[in-house]
Amino acid sequence: MFKMYFLTASRSILRNKSYSILNIAGLTLGITCSILLFLVIKYELSYDSFHSKADRIYRATTISSYREGEEKSSAAHYPLADLLRTNKNLGFEQITQTHGEEGGQINVLGDDGNSIKRFREEAHIGFVEPEFFDIFDFETGNQSAVASLSEPNNVILTETLATKYFDGKNPLGRLIKFNNKLTLKVTGVIPDLPNNTDLPFSMFISYKSFIDYSPYGDAKSWNTLSSTHQLYAVLPESKTEKEATAELNNLLVNHIPDKSANLPKEAYSLQPLKDIHFNAELSNYSNRTVSREVIWSMALVGIFMVIVACINFVNLATAQAIKRAREVGVRKVMGSSQLQLMLQFLGETFLITLTATLLSVVLAELALPYLNELLELEITFTVLQDPVLLFFLVAQVLLVTLFAGIYPALIMARFQPIAALKSRINTQKVAGLSLRSALVVLQFTICQVLIICTILVNEQMEFFKSKSLGFDKEAVVTVFLPTGEGKKLMPMRQELANHPAVKKISLASSPPSANFTFTGNFKFNNSSEDVPFHANYKMADENYLELYDMKVLAGRHYKDSDSAAYVINETMRRKLGIESPAEAINKTIALGNGEVKGYIIGVVEDFHQNSLRDPIDPAIILARPDNYWFLSAKIDMANKQEALQHLEKVWNKTYPDDVFDYEFLDETIERFYQDEARQNKLFKIFSIIAIFIGCLGLYGLVAFMAAQRTKEVGIRKVLGASMFNITVLFSKEFVKLVLIAFILAVPIAYYLMNKWLQDFTYRITLDYWPFILAGVVTLIIAIITMSSQAIKASLTNPVVSLKSE
Amino acid sequence: MKKSVIETVNLQKKYVTDTVETTALAGVNIQVGKGEFVAIMGPSGCGKSTLLNMLGMLDAPTAGSLKFMGTEIASATERHRANLRKENLGFIFQSFNLIDELTVHENVELPLFYQGLPKNEIKQRVDAALERVGIAHRRNHFPQQLSGGQQQRVAIARAVVGRPSLILADEPTGNLDSQHGREVMTLLSELNEDGATIVMVTHSPSDAEYAHRIINLLDGQVITERIHATSAALAL
Repeated sequence: MFKMYFLTASRSILRNKSYSILNIAGLTLGITCSILLFLVIKYELSYDSFHSKADRIYRATTISSYREGEEKSSAAHYPLADLLRTNKNLGFEQITQTHGEEGGQINVLGDDGNSIKRFREEAHIGFVEPEFFDIFDFETGNQSAVASLSEPNNVILTETLATKYFDGKNPLGRLIKFNNKLTLKVTGVIPDLPNNTDLPFSMFISYKSFIDYSPYGDAKSWNTLSSTHQLYAVLPESKTEKEATAELNNLLVNHIPDKSANLPKEAYSLQPLKDIHFNAELSNYSNRTVSREVIWSMALVGIFMVIVACINFVNLATAQAIKRAREVGVRKVMGSSQLQLMLQFLGETFLITLTATLLSVVLAELALPYLNELLELEITFTVLQDPVLLFFLVAQVLLVTLFAGIYPALIMARFQPIAALKSRINTQKVAGLSLRSALVVLQFTICQVLIICTILVNEQMEFFKSKSLGFDKEAVVTVFLPTGEGKKLMPMRQELANHPAVKKISLASSPPSANFTFTGNFKFNNSSEDVPFHANYKMADENYLELYDMKVLAGRHYKDSDSAAYVINETMRRKLGIESPAEAINKTIALGNGEVKGYIIGVVEDFHQNSLRDPIDPAIILARPDNYWFLSAKIDMANKQEALQHLEKVWNKTYPDDVFDYEFLDETIERFYQDEARQNKLFKIFSIIAIFIGCLGLYGLVAFMAAQRTKEVGIRKVLGASMFNITVLFSKEFVKLVLIAFILAVPIAYYLMNKWLQDFTYRITLDYWPFILAGVVTLIIAIITMSSQAIKASLTNPVVSLKSE
Repeated sequence: MKKSVIETVNLQKKYVTDTVETTALAGVNIQVGKGEFVAIMGPSGCGKSTLLNMLGMLDAPTAGSLKFMGTEIASATERHRANLRKENLGFIFQSFNLIDELTVHENVELPLFYQGLPKNEIKQRVDAALERVGIAHRRNHFPQQLSGGQQQRVAIARAVVGRPSLILADEPTGNLDSQHGREVMTLLSELNEDGATIVMVTHSPSDAEYAHRIINLLDGQVITERIHATSAALAL
């Protein structure tokens, strides 16, 4: 019986080639997109889920409460780990602390201890304790390597780095130098970590080396929090997160030294490991979080794509049903039951869906490398070895078969045999002309929502690039300075500027906009009380304002020697309640707990210190040569190569051990928005595909209508209708549907985009034109799609078309 | 008289739309005995096809009695009618109504397939039916590859393959030229001689001559019934 169904189905698919191609192409595209999105979602959800204790691993994070609001940090205080250990881990099964560095300089040392190779390492480098490998299930090969991490100055490399540094020779026992500070012995090589972890280290330095590396390494300070220092703990099964948090905070209250009343009140909060990848509020070592909203919106887009393709199918199949009416009639007269007919038609849908899915698997495999590149992910695709994916595919085939096939099957199985045999079934009689219209509306609503969202996301991205940040970010090269070499700075600045292609050099703690800030408390106008908010400190030399073209509204910039002269921004002035920039001059500011007193010497226009997601903070610019970690060079872009060569030459002379690793500031700032940029690209591609699938369906539907109405067209032409009249006749109905879809799409897209834009303090206003544009674009595409068929119909000789009955 | 295969008493069919009520059958009384060959004639719109649809259980009457093999089926459900149809009736249409996607063999096996017969039996019976109508050599062809006459032979093979109690033919020669038409009528006649009961709707007086009895319809009523001279003995 199934053989019979299969035969009829495959012959019917082959006979109606253009119809089958439209259907299979639409479904293939939709299913390919769904597979790709499924892979992306699955990949994101798999982050750190492979550790056997994943459900019980928590990160101790800190909430600092200020008088105005609170701040969350993924950091734990440096002494916390030791304190926990002296308290028998406070009931935690295991704890471990880590410090992460985003790359650094690596020198490979020869037998004589001299550097033989230098690398500017971009990979993540972790300071870890041996417990790290007990808590997290990373493959380590042998235990002795892990044990070596309990001693200072040991390092474990991943295979990739070991090969890179030692060209495949045995690295064990060899020495490397990290950031020209730590000399480390290679005690082990382990396989590379999987990609789906937020602990993406390629090098594991024993945590005990941290004491020699960082001023915070002595682990005594309860005043400092750095998101690079994190503490992970395994909760025993007998204890709840709530209990553990309470105990942790009790410990904090009892052991933390008395803090100044002006310091923030701090409390710990335990963050589940499985939350880390999805919580944008708290940073992680991979610098990448994906919010659950983004995951959901990807899932939604995937579902939409399949729905759009299914709608095509339903539309084309119900239209096509008329052609099959006679067959249904004959089968019924021959004794087929409704159920048998339904099974037959569902079988055909199954066959088409299966074909489309097989094609999709191939297409997805071909497209995946491009998607990986686009999204900067490393997703692999192994259908047969991936039971979850396999289940997804099988489930999708069955669901699509049901969703796309059940309605046309029902319609056809219900044909009355006499009517079906006498060709008395026409487009109108196939119940569901209204349903098909509704489906077309739904399809175009989805397409238009996607287009509107794409335009608006794109507009916001352009806004990021073009919005004035309050300083000039163009043609600025920045280089991270080696620490502890303060004396060399000023002579180097002089020498660097000494080239016609270099316009200005400035040294500072960071460029005006950076992904990190230094904040602190301060007193204003001789008050003994702190002001109720913190300010960002920008420590910079006398060239800073000029290099970044920051507009001075009152007063002037300071000289390098002026350690008590401060420049503030407008937000700071307003928050301090000073009426005008001029009035701010000479008012006093005492930084920190009152030790450093100075006066306001200038007021600059507001400038953005973070991404445009965040509001502008109050800022103080001041000279502190000990805290200059960035070199900024304004160069002549017409002579870019010469300028860079000069910078590198002077750099190498000044810092022979350090690699000259520069970045253009505008590119650095663009990277603030890389998550949005990725979403933007994804949206663009998928909305184009959705539109395309929608048009395939529309094309098929109009083609079918044209065939059905050949006689009508003939009669109309005989009576004098022009080609234009015929085109209008065909287009009228669909134009109406596209317009209805537009009316539905506008509020949906408005709601979605309004919500998305709320994440950004600085955002575009929702104008009417992207909406109109989306409507017009869809309409034009739809009309072009329809016209081709309408014109074809109207060109047919009426004599021929009238003979069609 | 022989036992009736089908019998109608005051059979009525009305089609009702919003504004118009059309009476297609206004009380038809006919009987068809086993082994009979009956032709129904009449002008267009007289209710011939409607009557054939009722007899073929493709449609339900509005009023009156319809007995098939002595069982009342006027108010039977669609499912019940479908089952009766499947097991007892064979159909031949003016436009052949073969399924384009199926080969000759597959078209003919369709009724047996729906009856759920075993594979071997299906093959034997289809082969026999194809031999009977003289189209066995074309068993693997598709309908479009055959002439009209050949297509109608396939349709006849399909109608008889299930060994139905009653064969209903609706203008079987309407789409054929006269030579092919004669061949088809001869074939039907032979089937009748072999024992098949046939009810045929036709416009053609010469086709009607092949029947034992001719029923004339006008405006949904039987106006005359004429017993064909040569077969009077058989009918009565």
